[in-house]
Amino acid sequence: MKKFVEESWLILLLGVVFALMLAGAQTTLSARIRENQQRALNEAIGEVVPHVSRTEVIEIEGYQVFKCHDEQGQLSGWAVRASGSGFVDKITLVVGLSPDGERVTGLKVIENVETPGLGNKIEGEWASQYEGLSFAKAIQVEKGPPDPARNQIQAITGATWSSRYVTDIVNEVANRVRPKLAEHR
Amino acid sequence: MAEENGSNFRQFRDGVIGNNPVLVQLLGMCPTLAVTNTLENALVMGAAVTFVLVMSNLVTSLLRHQIKPHVRILVFTLTIATFVTIADLVLKANMYEVSKKLGPFVPLIIVNCIIICRAEVVAIKNGLARSLADAFGMGLGFTTALSILGAIREILGSGSLTLPGGATSLKLVQLPAAFEPHAWIIMVLPPGAFLTLGVVIGIVNQLRYRKVKGGAA
Amino acid sequence: MSFGALIGIFLGVALVNNMVLAGFMGICPFLGVSRKVDMAVGMGCAVTFVMTVSGVVTWLLVHAVLTPIGAAFGNPEALYFLKYVIFIMVIASMVQLVEMYLRKFFPSLYTAFGVFLPLITTNCAILGACLLIDMKPEYQNLLNATVFAFGGGIGFMMAITIMAGIREHIRFSDVPRCLQGPGITLLMAGMLALAFMGFTGIGK
Repeated sequence: MKKFVEESWLILLLGVVFALMLAGAQTTLSARIRENQQRALNEAIGEVVPHVSRTEVIEIEGYQVFKCHDEQGQLSGWAVRASGSGFVDKITLVVGLSPDGERVTGLKVIENVETPGLGNKIEGEWASQYEGLSFAKAIQVEKGPPDPARNQIQAITGATWSSRYVTDIVNEVANRVRPKLAEHR
Repeated sequence: MAEENGSNFRQFRDGVIGNNPVLVQLLGMCPTLAVTNTLENALVMGAAVTFVLVMSNLVTSLLRHQIKPHVRILVFTLTIATFVTIADLVLKANMYEVSKKLGPFVPLIIVNCIIICRAEVVAIKNGLARSLADAFGMGLGFTTALSILGAIREILGSGSLTLPGGATSLKLVQLPAAFEPHAWIIMVLPPGAFLTLGVVIGIVNQLRYRKVKGGAA
Repeated sequence: MSFGALIGIFLGVALVNNMVLAGFMGICPFLGVSRKVDMAVGMGCAVTFVMTVSGVVTWLLVHAVLTPIGAAFGNPEALYFLKYVIFIMVIASMVQLVEMYLRKFFPSLYTAFGVFLPLITTNCAILGACLLIDMKPEYQNLLNATVFAFGGGIGFMMAITIMAGIREHIRFSDVPRCLQGPGITLLMAGMLALAFMGFTGIGK
């Protein structure tokens, strides 16, 4: 026993000291880290749904759905956090739905590792094409100029598959989440 | 005393130039390749590694008479893992976007051979001043090597070099606009990392050979 | 969880996001122990084995120990700051255990790749696999996590073996002096990474 203490007192002491240090760092910083995560998500929601001042989190079909209200407390839209397979790895995005769930109000890709310079254009200006499209029928990806009347968007040149995967995720949301929105209105 | 200072300075300088951990000793290759797609990532990674290196050398050097030889690796690992966790928490709290981009490579500093190597080679045998000089030197050398790679890859991959910082973001280099449509995207992709590092190490070796030859003549 | 999804995870980590060539993990042994094919295979086997075991053990520790204890204090994530320390300790002790076990019960296997075991503790691919399993929500499921860890090991073995094959061939080539050793190895790794990029989109 004496030998054990002699050999290992330093490690035990260090273990305790380090654990206390870590616990200290964790308690001081954890609030700020959570705030950061929340802010990143809130910014994305603000971009896809107009006039958001308060959100309420609900779960529909395993999706995280944010019910958004404006300053007057009126329902201003829904934001759905969805992810699905991309060309390289998973894509996570937030898609905005109008209060009646009929139109796309915006789309923002928050996590992707698609090919830089090609596939990762999904996180930029390209996504604004979805704004205003109808959920009444499936959104289609077109290589040439899109026909808005037929609910189409134009694929990124050289990254048709990345464009298709994003659209698949949106269509999946349309099929699974949209019919259930009425229950939560 | 003066001589002591001199040797501390030499220890510091060796880490940056003569015995650079990345370009000469070829240690810590994983972050070198993984996070050098932009200058910003390279700098943040360099700072994180320097912090852990300094703290680990500090603790090891202070406890060098207490650490029993056969448990030293355990003590090193425990120390390093603790300070890496702290660095990770601080990054997540203050530089959320960058820490998300670095992803698993911040916790992977734990297995960065540079740190354990410096604890074993220098800190366990030397006093505080020397160990700290060594840690700062090695940290700066690591950061320099990463920044060189990051700068090359960012310039060739996107046509410009920016140091982002919101409103104060600084554009350091801008290649002619004609280059931009033909930017070498491959440079920011994984193969670019291997190719750039291979070429840079080749250049460094060439310089070293030339220096040796010059010294002999 | 369908069988197809498991195959997708396996191919994803072994080919598309190969730990070494796309994820930059385990570069040190990739450069250091890739001179001969038989050594590379030995190293690959040792890594695959330890990676699978540590992946499972760390998953169990996070989901069956840290989370419930934290939850008992009201916040399931309360103890997550201990993760990194625990992960590295688990890997270090796994390596020790595997080494002792092999030496006692499978001496032939031990002589084949036992020498690589101590090196594995600082192989970032192993810690990297544990961290990725912990970070990504799709590995909440133990089966997925196991397949991921195993696939990561196989991907590592593949990369290091291919590299060793190439290096055996260029041993007598006339490489410029400044590129001999790590320089030319990195350049070849770059081309290998380029080739592996061709796997992107597989299994979709």
